[in-house]
Amino acid sequence: MSSVAQRIDSIVEEFSDLEGREKLELLLEFAARLPALPPHIVSRRASGDHRVHECQTPVYLWPEMTAEGAKLHAEVAPEAPTVMGFVAILAEAVDGRPVDEVLSVGDDLLDRMGLSQVLGILRTRGLRAILGHVKRGVLAASTPTGKDSP
Amino acid sequence: MAGYANPDVLVTTEWVAEHAHDPHVRIVESNEDRALYTQGHVAGAVEIDWQVDLQDQVRRDYVDRTGFEKLCRDNGISNDTTVVFYGDRNNWWACYALWVFKLYGHKDCRIMDGGRKKWQLDERPWSTDRVDVKPGHYTAPEQDGSVRAFRDEVLKHQKGGRPLVDVRSPEEYCGDRLHMPDYPNEGALRGGHIPGAVNIPWPLSVNEDGTFKSAKDLEKLYVKGAGLKRRSPTIAYCRIGERSSLTWFVLTYLLGFAKVKNYDGSWMEWGNCVGVPVVKGTTPDGSPA
Repeated sequence: MSSVAQRIDSIVEEFSDLEGREKLELLLEFAARLPALPPHIVSRRASGDHRVHECQTPVYLWPEMTAEGAKLHAEVAPEAPTVMGFVAILAEAVDGRPVDEVLSVGDDLLDRMGLSQVLGILRTRGLRAILGHVKRGVLAASTPTGKDSP
Repeated sequence: MAGYANPDVLVTTEWVAEHAHDPHVRIVESNEDRALYTQGHVAGAVEIDWQVDLQDQVRRDYVDRTGFEKLCRDNGISNDTTVVFYGDRNNWWACYALWVFKLYGHKDCRIMDGGRKKWQLDERPWSTDRVDVKPGHYTAPEQDGSVRAFRDEVLKHQKGGRPLVDVRSPEEYCGDRLHMPDYPNEGALRGGHIPGAVNIPWPLSVNEDGTFKSAKDLEKLYVKGAGLKRRSPTIAYCRIGERSSLTWFVLTYLLGFAKVKNYDGSWMEWGNCVGVPVVKGTTPDGSPA
């Protein structure tokens, strides 16, 4: 099973050869793969406390640490396909991996993918906030006092 | 469209469907989420992005005159092209793009009433085809100062007791919040509003289907309700000048106000300025409600 860093490298490679419009097309392909919420998350969805407040549109993230490693559940409004695609990338990258690997994902991810130029400063900042959320969430879920621990 | 001061500035989705390939017309999509255009757009429409295309990437300003000319040429827009803007989020970015086009004096600019939302509701098709553009011929004048207000002018305007419209959410206006609910805080140090500004949140101008409210309802909101006057020079602002572009559009074209400026520095400048007046609370002068 590949590490988070290896998966990120391969995603970055996929993106780096593409021009702007193609990068967005690839992002949409990732967005289409974002899994639906599992039943145990759907039941907790109403509380609204997992909303990412830095984000431009309704985005809900539920990072978990399971016996198999990290798991990122997410729900993103359909009017925000860019966010949905980025969240789907993070979900694929961290899936089943230990917390220290998740924390090692660099904040320059969007620059490496070449997306910062395509999206501009403000949108890039919003997406970077999502990465921060995922890291903090996984960390909180992995510590016994974390409010998200099972 | 009856009753609007300049009804021609709005076109229906039907008009757009009919004219999308008219060589004298260019349909332009402008969105908050860029991937929406990639996912599907009006056939023949080009995309002009407010962050990447319209703004200078180094200074906090718009592209300069030469940059604007190039942008137009590259998108097949000539000086005499009818440019019709539409987009997501009730056309607020479309209005912002239109405002920048007016800043450079483009003559014939229109909005597709209802934007992406209405196009979808009308069950019109989305296209993913790339648009082949024949380059336009464009020469732009320097920026038109009559639509844009800078900080010093806003300060003078405020001190003179002239009308200001703050179109942000009530929470931002009061000073409880520094950014829209659920939006990123882009870094204002102080919360509140410019003394004297009335608060008319921008979504009040728009119907559920994304179209603009009727002339009568807009009149009730801005003129009868808020006491704004068609002949008084008026300045609209928000957080970074995008939501207030929509209000600027409504006041200027739909209600026929004579002199409206958009203060694009908006709260992201004012809330960081040293020494400018700021009040908190729900009333224009900050007195207890």
